Amino acid sequence: MIRRQLFAFVLFCSAIHVPGASAQIRASEMGTVAQVVDGTRIAVQYYRPRARGRDTLFGKNDMSWGDLWTPGANWATTLEVSKAIKLNATNIPKGKYSLWMKLHSANAWTLVLDPDFHRFHEDRPDSNAKQIRVPVTVTSAPFTEVLTWSMPELRIDGGTLEFRWERARVGLSVDVTPSLVMTFPASEAATYAGVYNYTDIDNGKPGKAATFTITHEDNTLKGQFEPDDPYLKKFAMIRIAPDWFAPGVYDKFGRIYEVLRPEETWEFTRKAGKVVSFVVRGKDDAVFGRAVRKP
Amino acid sequence: MLSRRAFVSACAGGLVTAAYPIRGVLSHACAPVPASQRTPHPKPRAGITGAKVLKAAQLKDHAKLIPLFASVKKIPYIMDGIRCNCLCAQPPGMYSLLSCYEGDAMAIDCAVCQGQGRLAARLHAEGKSLADIRVAIDAKFG
Repeated sequence: MIRRQLFAFVLFCSAIHVPGASAQIRASEMGTVAQVVDGTRIAVQYYRPRARGRDTLFGKNDMSWGDLWTPGANWATTLEVSKAIKLNATNIPKGKYSLWMKLHSANAWTLVLDPDFHRFHEDRPDSNAKQIRVPVTVTSAPFTEVLTWSMPELRIDGGTLEFRWERARVGLSVDVTPSLVMTFPASEAATYAGVYNYTDIDNGKPGKAATFTITHEDNTLKGQFEPDDPYLKKFAMIRIAPDWFAPGVYDKFGRIYEVLRPEETWEFTRKAGKVVSFVVRGKDDAVFGRAVRKP
Repeated sequence: MLSRRAFVSACAGGLVTAAYPIRGVLSHACAPVPASQRTPHPKPRAGITGAKVLKAAQLKDHAKLIPLFASVKKIPYIMDGIRCNCLCAQPPGMYSLLSCYEGDAMAIDCAVCQGQGRLAARLHAEGKSLADIRVAIDAKFG
């Protein structure tokens, strides 16, 4: 124990006296994984231990069953979120936390987030009311030599934050607070639904003509050109302001994967309260499409 | 030739990499600042004027932008109350969207700065207040 404390002290002192970490060679080098999802930044900063020939790591030494362990090395791994998120459906307020795992058994751990984020790995926090606890399932994965946090799967409203080391894998479902409402109320759909005569505007002059149809399907306002637009296909019209919309593009599984904001703003115009036309503006606010509603 | 709509869609999907002769689409690598990095809109400075906004003579190589700069010059109080939403480098003295139209004028090459300026001028001409324009800027540029 004294040896460990001495090591911690030496590491701490070296961090103070050496101006840059670039010239230091560490058994566990520092790494960061950061991801922005719909304006929410999620960052894990951690030191990355290697297995170094050890075949079994969990269930013994510092990672014995029942131990509280930071999934990293040296200073505790941290999780920082710029806005509130959900991890496995548990609310995580905006902030920075030290990240710990309570190792119950080979396949059941509890993620513990402590607001006291700057702690050495052996300075394990006592259980307290400010901590957030998230039960997690550990699954078996191919051997991973270097402890790794990543976000291998992304959606427009979240993704998966993944931990891997040795043969352990923990996948945490991340949900961010959406900046836009993708659905559209049926009660308002008739205001926009219908067929429009559309014309491209190129350098201020009329270009190709098309028919544009707005429908309400699956609780969403949708638009489609005829002839078909090969990129937009049938797309979601997502309201960003009263009578302003941005296109949401679907993947082949029917999930929106991109919202073209500010690349395209669809601005509708009313006469006597009735929507009669719209223009499409680019991010430079220039008009590049114009349409009039068919009677 | 691609229509601009088709081009914008293709760009968004990463399908077009070559330059395309539409100013403001690929003219600059600017992108809107992610909401996580956005600052509040600035408070317009008392007595602010458009005197430093580039004049037509300074925009000889960018004739298409002369009307935009002229319209911006007329509404310094509005422009000074709007945050610049692009990820361009923040030059010394940068305060507001108005700054993007002064000095080295990053708005010359930035479609986001241009779009914000045009939108502000257009909505101001429609009688919208600074508060209304800020709401519209936030809606369009996230």
